Amino acid sequence: MKNCIHDFSKTVLLIVFLLSANIIQAQLPKIVFAPQWLPQAQFAGYYVAQEKGFYKDAGIEVEIVHPSANEQATSMLVSGKADVISLFLITALAAKNQGLDVVNIGQISQHSAIMFVAKKSSGIATLSQLNGKKVGIWKSGFDEISKAMIAGQNIKVEWIPILSTVNLFMMDGIDAMAVMKYNEYDQIINSGLNEDELTTFPAASYGCDVPEDGIYCLKSTYENKKPELEKFLQATLKGWEFAANNREYAIDVVLKRMKIAHQPTNRVHQQWMLDNVLDLMKPGNKGVSAGELKKGDFMKASEILGESENIQQKYVFTDFYKPLLK
Amino acid sequence: MHNQHFMAKRTLSAHIIRNVLLFCAGLFLVTFSIYYYFTRSTIEETTRENAVFLANNTVNRIEQVLTPAEKVPQTVAKMLESSFLTKDSLFPFLKTILKGDTNIFGSTIAFEPNYFADKGTYFAPYVCRKGDSITSSMLGHANYEYFYMDWYQIPKMTNAPYWSEPYYDEGGGNILMTTYSVPFYTIKGGKRIFSGIVTIDVSLAWLTEIMSSVKILETGYAFLLSRNGVIITHPNKDYVMNESIFTIAKENDQPGMRLIGRAMIKGKSNFEAADFHSKWHSGKLWIIYKGLPSSHWSLAVIYPDNEMFASLYKINIILVLLILVGLSLLSFFTIKIINDLTAPLKHFADSARLIAAGNFDVQLPEIKTEDEMKELYNSFSFMQKELAEYIVTLKDTTAAKEKIESELRIAREIQMSMIPHIFPPFPDLPEVDVYAILKSAKEVGGDLYDFFVIDGNKFCFAIGDVSGKGVPASLFMAVTRTLVRSISDKEFSPAAIVSTLNNSLALNNESSMFVTFFLGVLNLETGELSYCNAGHNPPVIIRKDGSAVMIEKTKFIPVALFEDFQYEELTLQLRHGDKVFLYTDGVTEAENADNKLFGDEKLMEIVRENNAVSPRELINKVEEAVAIHVDGYTQSDDITMMTIFYNE
Repeated sequence: MKNCIHDFSKTVLLIVFLLSANIIQAQLPKIVFAPQWLPQAQFAGYYVAQEKGFYKDAGIEVEIVHPSANEQATSMLVSGKADVISLFLITALAAKNQGLDVVNIGQISQHSAIMFVAKKSSGIATLSQLNGKKVGIWKSGFDEISKAMIAGQNIKVEWIPILSTVNLFMMDGIDAMAVMKYNEYDQIINSGLNEDELTTFPAASYGCDVPEDGIYCLKSTYENKKPELEKFLQATLKGWEFAANNREYAIDVVLKRMKIAHQPTNRVHQQWMLDNVLDLMKPGNKGVSAGELKKGDFMKASEILGESENIQQKYVFTDFYKPLLK
Repeated sequence: MHNQHFMAKRTLSAHIIRNVLLFCAGLFLVTFSIYYYFTRSTIEETTRENAVFLANNTVNRIEQVLTPAEKVPQTVAKMLESSFLTKDSLFPFLKTILKGDTNIFGSTIAFEPNYFADKGTYFAPYVCRKGDSITSSMLGHANYEYFYMDWYQIPKMTNAPYWSEPYYDEGGGNILMTTYSVPFYTIKGGKRIFSGIVTIDVSLAWLTEIMSSVKILETGYAFLLSRNGVIITHPNKDYVMNESIFTIAKENDQPGMRLIGRAMIKGKSNFEAADFHSKWHSGKLWIIYKGLPSSHWSLAVIYPDNEMFASLYKINIILVLLILVGLSLLSFFTIKIINDLTAPLKHFADSARLIAAGNFDVQLPEIKTEDEMKELYNSFSFMQKELAEYIVTLKDTTAAKEKIESELRIAREIQMSMIPHIFPPFPDLPEVDVYAILKSAKEVGGDLYDFFVIDGNKFCFAIGDVSGKGVPASLFMAVTRTLVRSISDKEFSPAAIVSTLNNSLALNNESSMFVTFFLGVLNLETGELSYCNAGHNPPVIIRKDGSAVMIEKTKFIPVALFEDFQYEELTLQLRHGDKVFLYTDGVTEAENADNKLFGDEKLMEIVRENNAVSPRELINKVEEAVAIHVDGYTQSDDITMMTIFYNE
């Protein structure tokens, strides 16, 4: 008897909950956001904004979906599975060149985290010494900057495409590899190599300090959902600001998301990633405000892309950058 | 007195106990330290041996699975190189492999892109277990480009077999897996070229079982690291496949853990005190680690220090308790022994006090032992006897001494009665007033003075000082005084009197004694004073006007030295109101504690200050001044003074 009442009340609660959820969903306009990679601290600001209810406070409903091995963020944009995605500036430029009508509505990162790393024991001390060497590079893209750096040295390397681990580098299968300072570089450290055993060549030191993560949507979405997108951007920046000021909390949120996604994870690496990603968001000497994309950076990225792809760009800065933040 | 004695005894006892306890405690500390050091070393060595055995044993258990598994793809690679296998026979062949070895979960032979012209980019027959059956599939498509997978790429690039980092097989029920890949080569166009990879997937479910079966001490545990330091097995499930030893080291700020991690992934082997603290297991830890030859993973076993040395700590507590009991017993018995030993001493002390009080017959404590206490008893007994005898002798001596003293007292009385001591001496002789004192340094003295009337109207006075002191001097003085009186019955001039006296005394003077002597004869009518000074201190003439001078010295020798020595006399004129002050060297040579003499000058100063006073008062003043000067210092010589006032 007692159990019956209990079950009954549970059912009522469930119905009420579902109804109210529907009501909220019905009331708030919804944005589906897809970061360009699996859950990690690189996207802490979005998770925090969602977790702290900044999106709801702004008057929108935001769902975060992640790409998979079979489906990249750009594909999700095309298929309509996502309204907004995050992309590297140079990836977005390339996509637009290939006909995907994306626009940048806000630039989160202002600097490049890309660098080459080599073991000191390999004897490689300068970038030009990579000439003729086997160099690991992401198979999935993001390779334009790295390739521009090598081209700038007038040398040739044997590029070895790599999926996601640093194991080939650890096993000395390659002489050097391109890494994100906030990600693969720390994985190497966390695999037992010390920083003083490594030589690094950061893109920023070789004239390639091109911004990375930005927020993109289809031009049509931009035109139809301006108010919602503006709210999304504002709440996202608020999320990043909160994450910067409450890093432990932000890490907790990230770790929770990673566990749900069954991703191997540890706090130390995510902490390193968050700290570095937040550093990339600082204007440095570029004099940009939060969320702004500098025309200079756009031009630099276009130039690098043009050189690597050997194609003429068919659009101008104002076609590409549609700032929604005042 | 009794308390003092009691305190002294307690201090002696405490002193001995303290020293004994300090020594024993020191000895214990040294012994205990040595014992502790060696026992600890022994335990450490034994644990090391056991740990090495355990680690080797566990590594072997794992190797027993991994090493045979390595053989399969190695053989397949050789078969492929020798073209023993055709592309169509691969699926059945792989299935045979799985059927033959239950440890193998899956297997593939993955070829390079477009290796077979008719098979396209991807050609990788793959079989794996699904429940009880074995399924087959072809790997490779646009979203699974196996050429870039670690299991393919790493052995290809390094030209060496490779055990992959463990991973969770997402398709196969989330089992922890690892893949062993062997590159194979074929001859194409006369050249041996890389052609693909043979792999076997090994489930690691058994690994966790082996590792968790390693139970050491109470809470010791084992864990396994991959080649990159990733935790493959650990009692804390949250660590597994999430953390590496390096991320744990960084999170807990333990650089020592990172160092050991680096040694481990390099395949090194050691047993050492862990230079880190673990969040997972508190306290000091020991660690043994050893690399796995096949997969280059590393096994570690953690030994909690407190459990490792638990037996030692237990024995330590027992030892400390035993030592405490031992020291207590030692104290107790030491106190008892000391008390037993020193008990006779107390009796001896009591006896000594009784003996000191005069009870020589007191019973000494009975000593049965033949030791130092017996010697003390003998000494006491001897002392008792000797003291008794000594006291008897002392009694006799004291009686004799008392008798002598009594006789001396009488002698003194006799001596003092020989000199005039009633003042004023001549109440019916108004012309002269006399006062004199004699203070002997001993019972009887060698000083003398005398005065009397001779020849009708002449006042004769004398003062003298016999050499030496005591009884001989007093006898000589008595003789001198008697002779002076008898001689002056017939002779009236000072020179004659003194000469006669000298002759009498010098005769038969065996002991060579002598007397400094002054004798004056004052004509009371005329005031003429004739005198003879035989080596005596010059008297002082105090004139009525207050001036005072010492009579010029006449250079005669003291009497009794040489017979027939011719003494002469001098005269001077006294006027009424003049005084003559006579004294012996006991006055001028009175010494104080600093050996400073009273002196002639001081004497003259006192005399001049008191030039107008009566003879008695003058002598009192000088006596006072002398007393102040010596300030209680022992009088060494007789003091004699005499003043004659020639009345108006």
